[in-house]
Amino acid sequence: MKIRSALHILTLAGIAHASALFAGDVKIIANPSVSEQSISSEDLKSIFLQTKNSLGSAHVLPVLHKAGPLEEAFCTKYVGKNDGALQTYYRSLVFTGRAMMPKALDTDEEIVEYVAKTKGAIGFVSSTTKLEGVITITVK
Amino acid sequence: MNFLKHSGTAGALLLTAATAFLSQSLHAQGAAKIDGKEIQIHSFASQGFVYSDNNNFLTMNTSGGTFAFTDAGINAQTQVTGKLRVGGQLYLRNVGELGNWHPEGDWFLADYRVKDWLGFRGGKVKSALGLWNDTQDLTFLYNWALLPQSVYPLDLRANTISHLGGDIYGTVPLKKAGSVAYTIYGGQRPSDLQGGIVYGLLGSGITVNSYGGTVIGEDAKWTTPVKNLMVGASFVDLDVTTEGTRISNNKPYDVYTNKDHTEAAYAEYSIWKLTFDGEGRREIQDVYKVGLKSGGNGTAAADLRGGFLSATARVNKWLQVGTYHSRYYPNWPVTPRGLPINHLFDQTFSARVDIKSYLDFKAEGHFMNGTTGPNSYHGFYALDNPAGEQPTTKLVILKLSYHL
Repeated sequence: MKIRSALHILTLAGIAHASALFAGDVKIIANPSVSEQSISSEDLKSIFLQTKNSLGSAHVLPVLHKAGPLEEAFCTKYVGKNDGALQTYYRSLVFTGRAMMPKALDTDEEIVEYVAKTKGAIGFVSSTTKLEGVITITVK
Repeated sequence: MNFLKHSGTAGALLLTAATAFLSQSLHAQGAAKIDGKEIQIHSFASQGFVYSDNNNFLTMNTSGGTFAFTDAGINAQTQVTGKLRVGGQLYLRNVGELGNWHPEGDWFLADYRVKDWLGFRGGKVKSALGLWNDTQDLTFLYNWALLPQSVYPLDLRANTISHLGGDIYGTVPLKKAGSVAYTIYGGQRPSDLQGGIVYGLLGSGITVNSYGGTVIGEDAKWTTPVKNLMVGASFVDLDVTTEGTRISNNKPYDVYTNKDHTEAAYAEYSIWKLTFDGEGRREIQDVYKVGLKSGGNGTAAADLRGGFLSATARVNKWLQVGTYHSRYYPNWPVTPRGLPINHLFDQTFSARVDIKSYLDFKAEGHFMNGTTGPNSYHGFYALDNPAGEQPTTKLVILKLSYHL
């Protein structure tokens, strides 16, 4: 019984630690053509679900990481779907002509480079990533 | 075509392999670029094996076991400007006597999105109706090898699958009340000469030259403030005109619609690793005029009702399991509804194994009660069951699908 309780506490502590790590670990970045400095979590979700393609006066398009811990954490926290469910959702759009598959890149550096050169691009990277040519957006 | 028909398994495997190879190659190279524009190419294919204990189902020789359960599609899209996107998809299927490997332009469209709440699509467009009408061919999205036939009958796919016309669509935020995604559409439905109605009429001694008409529809999906709860409703007004010839006396056969309205209500809810879906449909076919060209003045009417409830559970990364219960009544006022010719119930159990992110395998068991009779053209056909239909059918489907 004591072992089980200890395991529960360890699990909860682990989850809390992971969440805390994640919350501080991700940055939302955008091409400088996006003038907004902040975004609501609902708008961020809508942009990644492709039901919203504007932010302020700018046309925006989401950029994803290929499957990985950061992608999984971002999708679960901000989009409300895990990576697998989000990919299924995108496929339902792609194969019915409703939308195209968002760009997905391997590394933070590639995402920064792509967002910097692509008008309206909005993505996310880990907080330690060196940023150049992009703006950061805070989530309200 | 006959060669492929008779060597269905080989043809299906060849098609699947060819499409997979083509798509893999294109995928490996990344999306193509023309004039600096990225062109995305995606494809899918599935191959099934179906076996039943009693009746032959969906025009397949299921009682003998059959591989004639194949479909495939390939699409290309590009974003021309920030607001304008164009693309198209080819699709073909061979399901028993349905489709017959006949390739069709599944959708091809130009999409101009003015605002988040206002966009326009024109061309041949998939029709928004209920939970899964526009995605019903894409079984790799679902736990099911065969969607609930009460609402998504494979043999009547063309009745509602798409329209040559246009959509007005958008998503309207409702602040704390969530958001509503709407679609309003209209156009001409494709004339499907490879579908269940035409096949069923052939069994009644009628060859069909054209089967189609117009469609006007609306669909609204409300993403509620309750986390992971979506509810929706749809309405479709069909015009169905069928023209053909009676084989016995070479006289014309024609049917015209006064009113054909379908209403749908549906919901989806996810919690933990569980997903629940449900949809109810009612189609009122109010007075079909029959035989005007041959001097006849017959009429027909029906009140079709159906629906399903489903539940799926993600067990782990590789395995998902689920069950649904589906009920269909070809004409609700006709009693007793307990007679096999007046209903079709289906209790289904399904397991999906995700072998790779682009490859899945499904094993599914169907326990069906009722057939709706030989003349309802809904799953069971007189041509396939010449000795008569048994009241119950057990059916197994194994299906391999890929998508890239």
